[in-house]
Amino acid sequence: MVMRVAANRETCVVSSLCVYRAPTVFAQDDDLGQVVVLDEEPGDELHAAVRRAARGCPTKSIKVTEPDGSTVASAFDFD
Amino acid sequence: MTTEAPSYPFAWEPPMQVPQALQGLHDKSAVQVTLPSGDKALLVTRYRDVRSLFADHRLSRNIARPDAARISADNDLFTNPHIDPDPPKHTQVRSLVTRAFTARRIEGLRPVAQEITDELLDAMEAGPRPAELNEAFAFPLPIRVICKLLGIPPEDRSHFRASVDGFLSVSKLPPEEVAKARGDLFRYLAELIESKRAEPGDDLISALIKVRDEDDNRLNDHELHFWVTGLLIAGYVTTASQIGTGTAVLLHHPELVKEIRDDWSLVPSAVEELLRTQIMGSSVGTLRYAIDDIPLTDGSVITKGTSVLLSEEAANMDPEVFDRPFEIDIRRTENHHMTFGAGLHYCVGAALARMELQVATESLLRRFPDLRLAVPGDQLPRALGGFMEGFTEVPVEW
Repeated sequence: MVMRVAANRETCVVSSLCVYRAPTVFAQDDDLGQVVVLDEEPGDELHAAVRRAARGCPTKSIKVTEPDGSTVASAFDFD
Repeated sequence: MTTEAPSYPFAWEPPMQVPQALQGLHDKSAVQVTLPSGDKALLVTRYRDVRSLFADHRLSRNIARPDAARISADNDLFTNPHIDPDPPKHTQVRSLVTRAFTARRIEGLRPVAQEITDELLDAMEAGPRPAELNEAFAFPLPIRVICKLLGIPPEDRSHFRASVDGFLSVSKLPPEEVAKARGDLFRYLAELIESKRAEPGDDLISALIKVRDEDDNRLNDHELHFWVTGLLIAGYVTTASQIGTGTAVLLHHPELVKEIRDDWSLVPSAVEELLRTQIMGSSVGTLRYAIDDIPLTDGSVITKGTSVLLSEEAANMDPEVFDRPFEIDIRRTENHHMTFGAGLHYCVGAALARMELQVATESLLRRFPDLRLAVPGDQLPRALGGFMEGFTEVPVEW
């Protein structure tokens, strides 16, 4: 199994945090600057950065599915 | 109600220490506070609640309502009847602006910020000692960068600085001075917009005017004016204050400065930690109005019709989320602080601010290997009576 990454452009507010944290995985489109996923199945060496990007997204617009099937949706999602 | 609602913003006393009132504030989700206007509001303190409420549509940013609390009795900031600050309208207009703040655009501005920084530091080095850091560097840098981004001519810079100070007064200035400052700024920006309309440039104001003139439904005159004002003010006062205040805090902790000098790759995480612990303004600007009942994590409920503040500084000190919250740890990696907010209203200029803070911090420490405060840190004066609470003067020696 691999890690899978998806992003919701509808809710993206262009914080640019994900692009800084994982520049080979996330980019921004030329029109409104909203998130684009460049690499939907990033390699192991990128997993920590991708998780941090997902946790830090201010609108919880990044969804990461771990190889074991669990999800990292956002920072400190207690509930 | 047995206890008096404490005054908010909380006092920075002593000035180098995070307000003591934030200690132990997380036992409950929210506390009642008294605003500078005398009105009462509910201050939400826990990270979990603050973060989710920033994204909650049941809290409206429209506080132009007869029963909403006012921040200040003398300044009706944030209650512009022509502006709809809630989605979906706000979100559409915001997207016209955020496209100018993508990572690529910000990185394109990094060499510009570096060049301005080098020039200012040259002048500071050649000037008298001690130097006053806010005046010599912390304010001019973000002002020049935002003017470049917005297309404001360099000779206009000095015009608007005093007006902005009045614009942001909560209790510092009498109402007539606030009104005059707001009027001056309004007229200046109206003229600027007209001159840009006549002679467009490669800048954000010209780009917004173009959108406005092509389609009135996307952006009307009130919104155009409102956003230009917001970008100009938020674009520099906040970053300027954080550069001066953050640097002062670093210099007050020489061991942190040494850590950075030994490993310059720590600059970005040091900048984040100073953003977390040294918020240079309070959270009065987060004032919202509950249009429905909203449950909180401690089981209590915000009742419909309550005025609510989301305390970024209290969320940033929540021990459930931040290990040793009151300690400055420049190596934190999971530092998802609330200083730029969250949700739909996340600070448009956050990436720009971060870039400027990184350039400023590293360049200052590299240029002056023996940079130090010229007075004891605990004697530095903090701003009172405005939105900004950073140090008003930061004399440095090298």
